[in-house]
Amino acid sequence: MRNKIISVLLATAMVVTLSACGGGDTAPAADSGAAATADSGAAATADSGAKDEAAANVSAEGDHELSVYAWDANFNIPALKAAEAAYKKVDSEFKLNIVEQSASSDVENAITLAASSGDYSQLPDIVLFQDHYIQSYVNDYPDAWQDLEGAGINWDDFGAEKLSYSTIAGKHYGAPVDNGTSVFAYRTDILEQCGYTLDDVTGITWDRWLEIGREVKEKTGKYLVSMDHNGDDLPYMMMQAEGQSQWKDGKPNFVNNDTLKQILQVIITGAQDGVIYLCNDWSEYTDTSIIGDQVAGVYNGNWIIPTIEQVKENSGKWEITTSPTLTGKEGYAANGGSSLYITANCKKPDLAKAFLAYTFGGGEGSMETYDNALRDGGVITTCISASKSDVYQEGVEFFNGQPIYTNIVAMGANVPVVEQNDHHYDARTQIGAAITNVINGSDLDTELKAAEEQVNFTMGN
Amino acid sequence: MEKKKSMSLLAKQRAAGWGFLVLASVMIIVMSFYPMVQALMTSFKTGSSANLKWAEPIIFNYQRMFQDKMFMRSVGNTFLYLIIQVPIMLILAILLAQLLNNKDLKFRGLFRTCVFLPCAVSLVSYALIFRTIFATQGLINIILTNLGIISENINWLGQTGTARLVIIIALIWRWTGYNMVFYLAGLQNIEYSVYEAAKIDGANGWKTFWHITVPLLRPVIIMTFIMSINGTLQLFDESVNLTNGGPANTTITMSHYIYNNSFGVGVANFGYASAMSFFVFILVAVLAAINLKVGDTRD
Repeated sequence: MRNKIISVLLATAMVVTLSACGGGDTAPAADSGAAATADSGAAATADSGAKDEAAANVSAEGDHELSVYAWDANFNIPALKAAEAAYKKVDSEFKLNIVEQSASSDVENAITLAASSGDYSQLPDIVLFQDHYIQSYVNDYPDAWQDLEGAGINWDDFGAEKLSYSTIAGKHYGAPVDNGTSVFAYRTDILEQCGYTLDDVTGITWDRWLEIGREVKEKTGKYLVSMDHNGDDLPYMMMQAEGQSQWKDGKPNFVNNDTLKQILQVIITGAQDGVIYLCNDWSEYTDTSIIGDQVAGVYNGNWIIPTIEQVKENSGKWEITTSPTLTGKEGYAANGGSSLYITANCKKPDLAKAFLAYTFGGGEGSMETYDNALRDGGVITTCISASKSDVYQEGVEFFNGQPIYTNIVAMGANVPVVEQNDHHYDARTQIGAAITNVINGSDLDTELKAAEEQVNFTMGN
Repeated sequence: MEKKKSMSLLAKQRAAGWGFLVLASVMIIVMSFYPMVQALMTSFKTGSSANLKWAEPIIFNYQRMFQDKMFMRSVGNTFLYLIIQVPIMLILAILLAQLLNNKDLKFRGLFRTCVFLPCAVSLVSYALIFRTIFATQGLINIILTNLGIISENINWLGQTGTARLVIIIALIWRWTGYNMVFYLAGLQNIEYSVYEAAKIDGANGWKTFWHITVPLLRPVIIMTFIMSINGTLQLFDESVNLTNGGPANTTITMSHYIYNNSFGVGVANFGYASAMSFFVFILVAVLAAINLKVGDTRD
């Protein structure tokens, strides 16, 4: 009998433990508030737990609270904190729960899971979302989003190129956060060693740039630019600088695209001559090539600047300019960047819209938001009125006193709007593969044909 | 009276047996079989995952996969790993087991632990470590340069051949010890007197190995073979973390490509991903069946 009692006790204990493990997700929804708050208090410190708990908290949060998913603790999160502080001036009880995600793909997966299951209750009120993906996510999961129409945002105050991503079927969905304008940063001391100045590399043709690059490589052993070839953004940025697209009428336009061919030829020649360093992965790009001081130039979205700034001893030696083009005019492009979107799970759309409009949307708090976002995270706005502030006009010591932020905003206004496509990253993968194969001995025309076929196949054309 | 009592005991035992079984069976059905059936249904659908529709024709996803050059390449890559890596690994494992089974060997426990230790490393972390070691500015290149073997750094992960080589080396490092443990267990079940008898009959080491060890280990060898084939066909972590499928998608595996179609890149295509999963499922089943048939000596 005693054995029986013990075994019953043990079994009960086990069942209770099991249900406690599994109950984490559902507890806040069904259980009394006491258990839920105790849970979230404990999980707030734990990294993995925090995600689920914060997600479930949307239903439990107060009238002046919003939650948001974002990534990058050095970039986007300081910007959101700046916005929270700014909005507290209007609503002193306002609270923004920023839930850090390890990468942008985590946010994409959260949307995919919620939309596929039709259960949006796990989503936060607002998500930060990559510009290149948002079009397809809104088209595929229209029920997962709430648009920003009627939020009172003056859209003319933003760069047109930036808004072209977050406007779907004529409706504005996203509040722009950062500015993806590409910068070409050079080490002026190294250029000087080879007898060049920043002016000599501004507004030149790619052929001339390759010549300079060969000289730099020979004299100093440094590459003139590097790129993560696993997600190679060079072709896209270089095409945009020409005002051209890899797409035509919604289909990939590789084979009959002379501009693309010439640009790829520049990349291939550069890689073969030791002018362009094509890295195998992201960490090789940032840690080995840029922080490892192997390059005399960096070409990417301006979010790469914090990475350049990590090498303190090179302070004052860098300066930024535009990119070369095939014709020799100055090239303007943008790469990357993200915006904030309201999800279907937001029960307080008015608060969310008011918050976004007041802070990132160019409202009264936008100057304060963007100034602090710039100071703390290096986030540069596309909001034209906010960029008039003093912080933007300051010279940056690391870039030899250049007022780079105001320069970048000015460059951003020149970025041409080119045809975009939901399959941006498929094209990037296939073009990157084509470059690799040509460097390893294949023929450009054959590879472009294969790349175009594969992208068409993926798109179902 | 007595008879009735024994009957009720049997009934009790049966009831207990069913009681234990029901819980496990229900769990397996709910957690495993039900999702499999659902996945099979999904594999006949297309469209955005929020709004899946029956495909037109119904086998659309299955037709599509055979026209998909990327998927066919991933199948080719996976089989390449399978054909090269599995035999090397199993032969190494059996040799190591044979060596470490020697009764006179000193520090046997230590050596066994050393060989098995790679299995204790998480798949992701070991893949990342291999990526660092084989980076263009990594340890291997530095060692080879300092030894004077190469004059210029080799871009291991940037060329198809070397990238595949690195994956195979990594797999062998990670899994040889794991298989060795099975062989060691198998070897310990072989009576030492059998070897003594062979020795008395004048058999040398090679003959003993080939005519006694291998036949007696046969069941274990078949098991490790099936497990290795199964594991290699589902290879994922190494492809994702070591090379990320590159360069130019020449090292991507089937599971990696399936993942890319569901979560990895862009918008989910669950229907197509499920269809490809069933292709892998059928491959594993067929290969395992062949293996069992060939390996079974009973008739």
